[in-house]
Amino acid sequence: MTTNDATTTAGAAAPAGRTRGKVPGEGSFWLSEWAFPLFVAALAAGIFAGTHLYYVYRTGTFSDVAVTAMLKGGMDSGSYGAAAAFGAGFLFARIIEGPMVGILDIGGSLQTGVGIGIPAMLLAAGITAPLEHFWLALPTGALLGALIGALILAIRRATVNSAGGTSTFGADVMMGAGNSAGRYLGPLVIIAAATASLPVGLGSTLGAALFYWWKKPLTGGAILGAMLFGLFFPIAGT
Amino acid sequence: MNETLTIALESMVIGALIGFGASAGVARMFHAPKVQGMGAFRTLGELNACENDPVAHFSFGLGFFFNAWASAVGTGALTSDVDHRIVPHWAAALSMTKNRNLDETLHNPRRMAAYGACVGLVLVTVLNTTAASIPHSLQKVAADVLGPASEWLINPVMPIVFWMAAVDAGRRSGGWATVLGGLAHVVMGNAVPGIVLGIVVGKGIDDLGWTRVTKSLAGAVVALFVVSAFLRGVDIQLLQQMKADVPHWLSRLHDATGTTPTK
Repeated sequence: MTTNDATTTAGAAAPAGRTRGKVPGEGSFWLSEWAFPLFVAALAAGIFAGTHLYYVYRTGTFSDVAVTAMLKGGMDSGSYGAAAAFGAGFLFARIIEGPMVGILDIGGSLQTGVGIGIPAMLLAAGITAPLEHFWLALPTGALLGALIGALILAIRRATVNSAGGTSTFGADVMMGAGNSAGRYLGPLVIIAAATASLPVGLGSTLGAALFYWWKKPLTGGAILGAMLFGLFFPIAGT
Repeated sequence: MNETLTIALESMVIGALIGFGASAGVARMFHAPKVQGMGAFRTLGELNACENDPVAHFSFGLGFFFNAWASAVGTGALTSDVDHRIVPHWAAALSMTKNRNLDETLHNPRRMAAYGACVGLVLVTVLNTTAASIPHSLQKVAADVLGPASEWLINPVMPIVFWMAAVDAGRRSGGWATVLGGLAHVVMGNAVPGIVLGIVVGKGIDDLGWTRVTKSLAGAVVALFVVSAFLRGVDIQLLQQMKADVPHWLSRLHDATGTTPTK
């Protein structure tokens, strides 16, 4: 895989006047413009196939618990609206923003969009085959990724590489909100654990406190503590 | 075929693919905006914060690994940190063990992609197989604890966090986010997509004014809302709850497209 294509397309990594000499990979396939859709396709194929794993075996999505729960809610109730709208909205915003700043945010675009939003749309339309079969999930994801990558390059040519104003469309605002929303999960887990059963609540509190003491995100400690105490003091069956 | 084996084999393919793509994208981020990269700004900051030290990269990834492992065992969601943080940091740590030149390691997509594929292959397989083989009683604890917590997070915590961020970001994005957020909860059942789009439109107008780009953006948002409202049968529900008669042609149209509301 050492394609050395010196004839990069127009607008691709043109050798800039760097003072620190030649950068490895500069002007090669790995930094060329048309390699971008390939990388997006590889990542999207993996993410979409991960959602297939989750659909069949209940493990493997590349999204956070909260976002995955939206898809699970759809799988349980058959109403995929929230997951589809959330995923599609994020995907849309990130495709617009990606070329503007030169960095495509994989969280919103691929993990949420391709991993949750598009599967939710497919399932809402009654198309289950790509999510049931691994060998169908891979090309589906790859195709979606290649399309997203190509679209981003097209927008990039139309906006950034031509003259005009630049805007990040509030990506920084969304990122800040997304990060702080994640922080809320820890306390919510402890509250939910204490609601589920008293020993599990105690374990969750203890775990979170320990993780916080070790300067780690307390969500993980809250979950592990709850599971550990749940092992010894099972929640009464419903 | 044994289920755990199937999961392991599929995870290997998936892990190698995401490791390859994510690590190459992360390496390309260091060449942005000249080259289109992919990853996240926070990843960029965190990679730089490790100051070229493989041990720092490794331990940073390890903290998130435990979090991802707990989440995978509990809910089956590997968390977004796998692509965002663990794989890039561990790939960086591996590529730097012998060579501290950033240009040849972390900033080099070829080298990062190769190491990333190896890291992803092992990591995703470990996460998925351990998650799939935990006892049933523990899965019940996880579901009972994480189910309610993630439901609260989706509604109302996340909408409020995004809403406040939009309001704090300025009067225009706050206004757009408030209107679209409320409409989104009516139309889609969750306010977050509307708030996100409100921020996109509001900030776009702030930065660019009413140009062709922002006009088409606002048009696309309006179209998205109209289409989702129709597909979810919100128009019929609205008319019914207003005690108004639903026109015959409209209900026929919904019947024909199979978009009659279920409630």
